[in-house]
Amino acid sequence: MPISRKKAAKPAPAPAPAKKAVAPKSKKRTVQEAQRDESDDEFGQVAIDMNSDDEEDMDGDDESDDAEADEFPEDDAEEGQDMSAADIEEDEDEEDEDSEGSYMDGDSLVDSQEENDDDEELEEDDEEGSDFDDLINGGDIDPNFGHNLNEPLAPESDYNPIKREYPEIDPIYDSDSSTEENENTVGNIPMHWYDDYPHIGYDVDGKKIMRPATGDELDKFLSTMDDPDSWLSAHNYKEGQDIKLTSEELEIIRRLEGNRIPDADYNPYEDQVEFFTSKTEIMPLSAAPEPKRRFIPSKHEAKRIMKIVRAIRDGRIVPRKSGYVPPKPKYYNLWNDAEDKPREEHVMHITAPKMKLPTHDESYNPPAEYLPTEQEIQEWNELDKEDRPKNYLPQKYNALRNVPGYGQFIQERFERCLDLYLAPRVRKNRLNIDPESLIPKLPSPRDLQPFPTRMAIEYLGHEGRVRSISVDPSGLWLASGSEDKTVRVWEVATGRCMATYVVDELVTSVSWGPNKEVAVLAVACGYKVGLILPEKLFSPELTLHSEEYLKAGFANVSSTEANAKAQWKQPTPAEFDQGVRVWVHLQKPVKQVTWHRKGDYFATVAPDANNSAVLIHQLTKHQTQQPFKKTKGAVQRVMFHPSKPMFFVATQRYVRQYNLQRQELVKTMMTGVQWISSLDVHPAGDNLIIGSYDKRLCWFDLDLSSKPYKTLRYHAQAIRSVAYHKRYPLFASCADDGNVQIFHGMVYNDLLQNPLIVPVKILKNVHQRVQALGALCVEWHPTQPWLISSGADHTIKLFS
Amino acid sequence: MDALIEGPQVQVRFVTQQRQYAIPETAIQTPARLRRYGLSQIINLVLQNEGETQRPFDFLIDGEFLRTSLAEYLEEKGMSTENVLTIEYVESMLPPTPLSSYEHDDWVSAVQAHPAGGFLTGSYDNHVRLWNKQAECTQILTGHSGAIKAVQWLTSDGDSGSILSGALDRSILAWEYNLSDNSHSVLYECRGHTGGVESIALNATGDQFASGSADATIKIWTTVIPTVSDHIEEVTETRKKRKTVKEDRILKAPIATLSVHTGPVSAVVFNPISQETLYSGGWDHSVRVWDIENNVNTTTKNCEKVVHCLDYSQHAGLLASGHADPVIRLWDPRTEDSSVVKQTLSGHQNWVTSVSWSPSSSYMLASGSYDGQIKVWDIRAKGALYTLSHGKGSKKVFSIDWSNDILLSGGEDNQMKIHKMQDMASHDDA
Repeated sequence: MPISRKKAAKPAPAPAPAKKAVAPKSKKRTVQEAQRDESDDEFGQVAIDMNSDDEEDMDGDDESDDAEADEFPEDDAEEGQDMSAADIEEDEDEEDEDSEGSYMDGDSLVDSQEENDDDEELEEDDEEGSDFDDLINGGDIDPNFGHNLNEPLAPESDYNPIKREYPEIDPIYDSDSSTEENENTVGNIPMHWYDDYPHIGYDVDGKKIMRPATGDELDKFLSTMDDPDSWLSAHNYKEGQDIKLTSEELEIIRRLEGNRIPDADYNPYEDQVEFFTSKTEIMPLSAAPEPKRRFIPSKHEAKRIMKIVRAIRDGRIVPRKSGYVPPKPKYYNLWNDAEDKPREEHVMHITAPKMKLPTHDESYNPPAEYLPTEQEIQEWNELDKEDRPKNYLPQKYNALRNVPGYGQFIQERFERCLDLYLAPRVRKNRLNIDPESLIPKLPSPRDLQPFPTRMAIEYLGHEGRVRSISVDPSGLWLASGSEDKTVRVWEVATGRCMATYVVDELVTSVSWGPNKEVAVLAVACGYKVGLILPEKLFSPELTLHSEEYLKAGFANVSSTEANAKAQWKQPTPAEFDQGVRVWVHLQKPVKQVTWHRKGDYFATVAPDANNSAVLIHQLTKHQTQQPFKKTKGAVQRVMFHPSKPMFFVATQRYVRQYNLQRQELVKTMMTGVQWISSLDVHPAGDNLIIGSYDKRLCWFDLDLSSKPYKTLRYHAQAIRSVAYHKRYPLFASCADDGNVQIFHGMVYNDLLQNPLIVPVKILKNVHQRVQALGALCVEWHPTQPWLISSGADHTIKLFS
Repeated sequence: MDALIEGPQVQVRFVTQQRQYAIPETAIQTPARLRRYGLSQIINLVLQNEGETQRPFDFLIDGEFLRTSLAEYLEEKGMSTENVLTIEYVESMLPPTPLSSYEHDDWVSAVQAHPAGGFLTGSYDNHVRLWNKQAECTQILTGHSGAIKAVQWLTSDGDSGSILSGALDRSILAWEYNLSDNSHSVLYECRGHTGGVESIALNATGDQFASGSADATIKIWTTVIPTVSDHIEEVTETRKKRKTVKEDRILKAPIATLSVHTGPVSAVVFNPISQETLYSGGWDHSVRVWDIENNVNTTTKNCEKVVHCLDYSQHAGLLASGHADPVIRLWDPRTEDSSVVKQTLSGHQNWVTSVSWSPSSSYMLASGSYDGQIKVWDIRAKGALYTLSHGKGSKKVFSIDWSNDILLSGGEDNQMKIHKMQDMASHDDA
């Protein structure tokens, strides 16, 4: 029955009165109702004959008519009230729903339909939907959206826009209308299509339903006139019959015409049931079982999830890493004092420095000695604020009550606060390294003994600067060349001058021949080099042998004359008696003379002689060679290699090593000094030291590099001489500051081990400074750890 | 006596090995504050020596001289004052008194005194000088062509005798002299060294002597006076040489040459008891013990310094050596250990060039150094007993000799100096 359908479509406990609590829903419901009214054509088929009502109108039911007339405006007013109330309320939710309702066509309909069944859920859905919309449109990702996704989604079928609703069946016996016979099944068609047929349709069995016999108009009129209830009948076109309406149905029609609720029993203004009140309800609102769709996966949600999945695949959403556990929120009782323990201090926590406690002079009544004098006050006032040792002056008050308020209090508090929060809270990790441990471990000088420590013997007798000294290979005799134009030979162990040779020029260099079989002393003085045979000091056999050795070259006359660079000459008889055996005259003043290890060759250095600055002389043949056609720079020192046919030439800044056999340059040492003063080669031949006028002593490891292995700067003034000991791992340097420094210089046979250099002793003020010159020459005793030095103060000293 | 009772007391027992000064060995309460002088007074008191007869005593506790007060000594050693302290006392050696000094023309490099009197000095002026008991220069022996480095008495009987001298001219000359007719002559010339002769030592019997030289050899010679020259390989003399060398000298060759030293031999000394034992020291830092009979080096002791001088004491049985450092080392030559120094005496400021044991004491020795000082040591004491200045300034001392009560020294200041020493013969009977 259409009526019953209509009834059923209505929510049974329509919550219209509860407008404030569920305002948006009720509003929606009204919209829906309006739509349904339009679409419902059931009423269209009920043709109500109103023409015959006139009488009846007059007759009765005035009340109802009045009531209708009364009721309509009420309804309107209610509606208007509703709207205005809604407008006035301007609830956010309402607005949202409004807008949704206006532009969402299908969905909104479905939503609203669903709302009928489960309002709350739908609302949630809506919210979710908007969330997802935001999300997919690039809005912020709700961190909890994954959580929400877990909730089951409603099946998609629920969202079918046209839903057939079947009338509720009243489970009484004759409630089934289908059991009625002759029911026409043609459906909702214009019935005039059957006007030309004898039947008006078909029943469920397919048999024609014949048109019932109808009388003409007169019969109709008569029957109406006969039947007092004829105005109550309605024509059913489908049946082709008149149906007599019951009074209930008439009542419904009347109410509908009056735009009133058809069910007269329905009270639209029932008392509000407070579903949600301040009272805590124990029982659930609804005992209805959970609807099935809550357990069926929602296609709609699946769609939305796929949307998200696609977005994730496309990289528009970056999901969390797997295994992410959302942090558990920590809750603690903020106000619980009992369990309140001080939190552990942060690693970088630095406690604020404590203020100094006040002292006596900060007392209001300090002892008199703390009170400043006038002068002190003045001084204090004159000082800058930052420079003041204290920021107050002690003051005396008779009583505490006389003490004024401290004017600087706030300022000081403020500054302290500034200090505290501006302090760089950075924990500086101070390097906890003992600086001593960084110093390379050097053996104690005590362990490196023997080395000379104290002066033992002084050799006195010279009357000029002693420029050069040399100890003979046996270690018994010491020769010294002085600027007093003498060469002296001393007994090393006693300091006795055994011989004095007077020459006619300043002696610049003396050197004993290294051959023990030949006793010869080379003396460089002026433009010549003299070879002296100290007769008495040596045994007759040695003396004789030496004499023959020295003389042998005079037979080789031709070569002597050919070489203009150096002329070998016989000494005068007087000189011969003195001991001089040979003179070698050179072109320029000779500064240095040095022997080859075998004692046959000796080299001379005459720096002024340009290309012939370095000459090598052969004693046995009285020959002189010029090893270098061209010399680079001013030659300072030369030295023969102690074992190989090598030759070292020190110019102002470089030391060059030449191979004499192959006649080639082997190596150039970059000294890095300004002016080399002296040179010595280690007896093993792999190391050499140089001294320079710019106070530096450089050790070169010839195998290692062309740069100095070590540079020692211990002298205060120009170094004059450096020397290696021939047996002990010692070397020494002397300088113009009058000091002699002794180093332990161990060279290991292991090529991988670097030489060990340890300064072991500084002999201070060994020689007095005379005209800016101090110690001029150092020489080691060939066999003992004794050092001999000569100086500008005319003395020679031996240290042991 | 009241002063003696004050202060803390220590029980001491005095013992001595000098019987003439013996006192009863009973414990005596003495004040702990007493020093050597106070203790010495106690001994004299007990001995009832007074005035002139009073003798100074030195006190030894555990073989060490007491140089502080008793209390300080006990505190230092951590000893209790309750126990009885045994103190040995010996008569103090009186400080040496300088007798006289004699000027030379040049540095005095070698001195030797004869026990019977008379001194021998060698000088850098190539002369050997003989001095009699009255310290008069009786003879100047001229013949060397180099500085004299060593002198040695051979025989001496009053006016005549014979001596040996070694010099830088590599020769050793044996001289005989006669003071009565003021004559002297070269007995023979010992030739063979190729370096200067640094040291000469005569053995106890006087039939052999050894010489150490800068040529790193030790040569052993007999004292037999040869009648003809031994055959020596003569080098062809140069014109100059021939002029200077005396032709009429009898040449003598060594009977043995010991050439194990690797440096100049600076000191040789015979063991006066054992004829065959010779000690030598040299620049190779070694002290060597030789068996002369077999000419073998039996023991070698090494230190790190050049040995300058050696002396052997038959009383102490120890070798004393002076080195190129300020330390005197005492060696026990009988031990086989090569580098064990029995004791060191330090106090000099410079090289020690000469040591000489007291001829009579087993504890006393004297040393001369390049710092110009002569020190007298008791090896039981920590420092030197007496420090004598040889001459003006700090001129080097080259040689000293302690003979009986005479201490001779010669040095760079051209002086031979004589100190009067107390005769130590009575000191110890050990």
